[in-house]
Amino acid sequence: MPGKHIDQPIDQPCRRCKENSAVLVVRSQPLCRECFFKYVQTKTIKRLESFRVRNASPDHQRTLLLPLSFGVSSVSLLHILDCQLKTQMRKTGRTGFALHVVYVEIPGNESFISSDNLTEVKKAYPDFQYSSLPLHDVFRLSSDTALTRLCPQLNQNEDASPHEKLTGLMNSLTSATARADVLSTLTTRLIVEHAKASGCESILWGDTTTKLAEKTLSETAKGRGFSLPWQVSDGESPYGIAFHYPLRDVLKKELVSYVDLVNDPISALVCEPSTIRQASMSSKNTTIDDLMSKYFEEVEMNFPSIVSNVVRTTGKLEAVSAPASAPRCDLCSMPVPDGRFGIHGWGGDQQDGVKTIAKEGSSQLCYGCTRSIPQPSV
Amino acid sequence: MAPKPCALCTTNPAAIVRPKDRSALCKPCFFNVFETEIHHTITSTNLFTRGERIAIGASGGKDSTVLASVLKTLNERYDYGVELILLSIDEGIKGYRDDSLETVKRNAKEYGMELTILGYKELYGWTMDQVVEQVGKKGNCTYCGVFRRQALDRGAAKLGVKHVVTGHNADDVAETVLMNLLRGDLPRLSRTTSIVTSTPSSVASSTDPASHTNIKRSKPLKYAYEKEIVLYALHKNLTYFSTECIYSPEAFRGSARALIKNLERVRPSAILDVVRSGEDMAKLCPGSDEGCGGACGSNNTSAIPLAEEEEGGCGSSNGRSAGSEMANMDRQLADNEAAAENDLEVEITYHGRDGTQQKVKKTPKKIKGQAAGVVPRKTVAKQVMGKCSKCGYLSSQDVCKACTLLEGLNKNRPKNHIEVGYEEVEPIDGKKESLDLNGVTEQTQTLEIAGSG
Repeated sequence: MPGKHIDQPIDQPCRRCKENSAVLVVRSQPLCRECFFKYVQTKTIKRLESFRVRNASPDHQRTLLLPLSFGVSSVSLLHILDCQLKTQMRKTGRTGFALHVVYVEIPGNESFISSDNLTEVKKAYPDFQYSSLPLHDVFRLSSDTALTRLCPQLNQNEDASPHEKLTGLMNSLTSATARADVLSTLTTRLIVEHAKASGCESILWGDTTTKLAEKTLSETAKGRGFSLPWQVSDGESPYGIAFHYPLRDVLKKELVSYVDLVNDPISALVCEPSTIRQASMSSKNTTIDDLMSKYFEEVEMNFPSIVSNVVRTTGKLEAVSAPASAPRCDLCSMPVPDGRFGIHGWGGDQQDGVKTIAKEGSSQLCYGCTRSIPQPSV
Repeated sequence: MAPKPCALCTTNPAAIVRPKDRSALCKPCFFNVFETEIHHTITSTNLFTRGERIAIGASGGKDSTVLASVLKTLNERYDYGVELILLSIDEGIKGYRDDSLETVKRNAKEYGMELTILGYKELYGWTMDQVVEQVGKKGNCTYCGVFRRQALDRGAAKLGVKHVVTGHNADDVAETVLMNLLRGDLPRLSRTTSIVTSTPSSVASSTDPASHTNIKRSKPLKYAYEKEIVLYALHKNLTYFSTECIYSPEAFRGSARALIKNLERVRPSAILDVVRSGEDMAKLCPGSDEGCGGACGSNNTSAIPLAEEEEGGCGSSNGRSAGSEMANMDRQLADNEAAAENDLEVEITYHGRDGTQQKVKKTPKKIKGQAAGVVPRKTVAKQVMGKCSKCGYLSSQDVCKACTLLEGLNKNRPKNHIEVGYEEVEPIDGKKESLDLNGVTEQTQTLEIAGSG
């Protein structure tokens, strides 16, 4: 629905500059194009205070990683940061940080995202370093062999290529929810490994308020309540690298308008499979993530402040301090408090007598990951 | 094609697909699994003690009916040695409770359990119908919820019972977890998943057996799926009364309920998974060191203190959302956001009386615990439980919620004590209305007298 907001011009002056006429209403304020850009820019940059020029030492360039999915949010974030870095350059002659951009090739996405998309982005924003990684690289980059152990027996031998391992693992999953869950978990892990390997000190995720709210409820529904604080808060993550969510205070629908209004170059770069996902909404191919994104699409439309409130509330949950030696989940690599692996051995598990002690060499998965990759009970 | 054999006994043909994990079971195996799981919940949390007298909060609905039936079965099978009685609350909603209370009476006879029915009217002087007449349909669920919570405790105290079990099932708990996330209510989030809630004994200074400040609340069906409860009732031919409260819309709960149902469709384990997440998150809520969410199993002595306004919903609003509750909260949040933003970064200009423009820098002010920008982790003040100065019920405030609500109600009610005298001559239900009319006439007369005097 490009141009949805512009189609109906608002017959009011901009609430901020009081000069231009407003083009859209943002959180009940009519704003003109320029003031809206400023609004989005400010909300984003405010979250990156610690990466200002004054915090950068002249002899050491700080590097941050931006994972690009070609969705509205990550493309917008790229554009916003590009503007910011150009402004810094103009004003101070240097920038607060350098940006690496990474695209992860996820199986199934080739149909609508090709290498041409990345070439276009490079052309539009030539100042950054780019890489494109196939998802199966996670088996190569990650030093731990636990991931390989999750693959079906067949793909566990040493000569199995990373590609075969990934295919084997994905084919062993029995539901759309599990496949989507494992794909996104592996993507996160690959991005983390890549960030570490390329000397980045933080990852700038493109999650909007809406996305973070979706994530909160969908991880809750997937039984990962224990790791929520690690998944939605700014700062040091348990992966040994910092996470930042600069778009945390911007709603998804606001970025959709942003892309419409900025138009060139970003609207042409965005490549979202939204239409594809809509098509499979009814069937068994629906995933928990789909459900939540649909749910919050509605909530965002009618009650945007409730969306922000969910995120603010989740931000108040306190992560348990996890020592480096804490036992971790083989799939998502999150610390598992008290080693409570698997879906057995808690109040809601009613099968008395199922042994919860893992066999030597078998996988240790957190509750949520066990739901996606069921482990044979001993 | 021959029917599939039962996945457990492998001899009988399967008759039921278990909603929880979609396994195909025969009837006896389903009953057995369902009952054993509840037994497991009871034993693994040391819920009951031998010789205990336990009141089942019975509404006549499917949950409490199944709870009563299963507890009776388990008590006999595993010899818990507990005495089970039924306690019903009559909210005074015509056409809703009248019929369901009949069901409770029938169940009491069938299970051979003692039954006590306690009305809002006798407890608070107001039936829900009267409350709705006064406050309208909006927000009446608050009254009902607050009154009901106290009513069960008061009823239990009257019967000398220290433990009340309720029919809250896994769907209810999961729904409440999501609802509290949507409402941003961490204190409640940290309490809802706990299997035992009770008023802390520390404030129960009196050893009065009728004290209603130290009553244990628990939900043995916490891990049982609503769909399985329905199946159990259906196949056991249990009679329950199925109706929704006629005053029910509660937007947040409705929205969360619809979401839970959709999740269950996508992944049946999701309900249980939300409950698990809720238990785990309870441990992450600021200042909730006791919030083990029932996960600490045997260490069950530390029951979660429950605020008096807990469990506000009646849990029967079926996805019908009036929306106004959410809209109101949205508006309020938006105002807070705008205010916080203005305070922190905008110089507010306003026109002075003489028409000149003045700039005023407002000092940042915290709004309802939410400050924009980066704020260090706040420590949330723990609720300190005391007693209501009016009724002695557990309360974090000086006056408990029920008394506050009652005060509001009574303020707007004409002083019509004379009406009480008529209650005794009220033998037939059908005549009630005309008698009420008499009451009104009486009232008017009283007022006229008062006015002339």
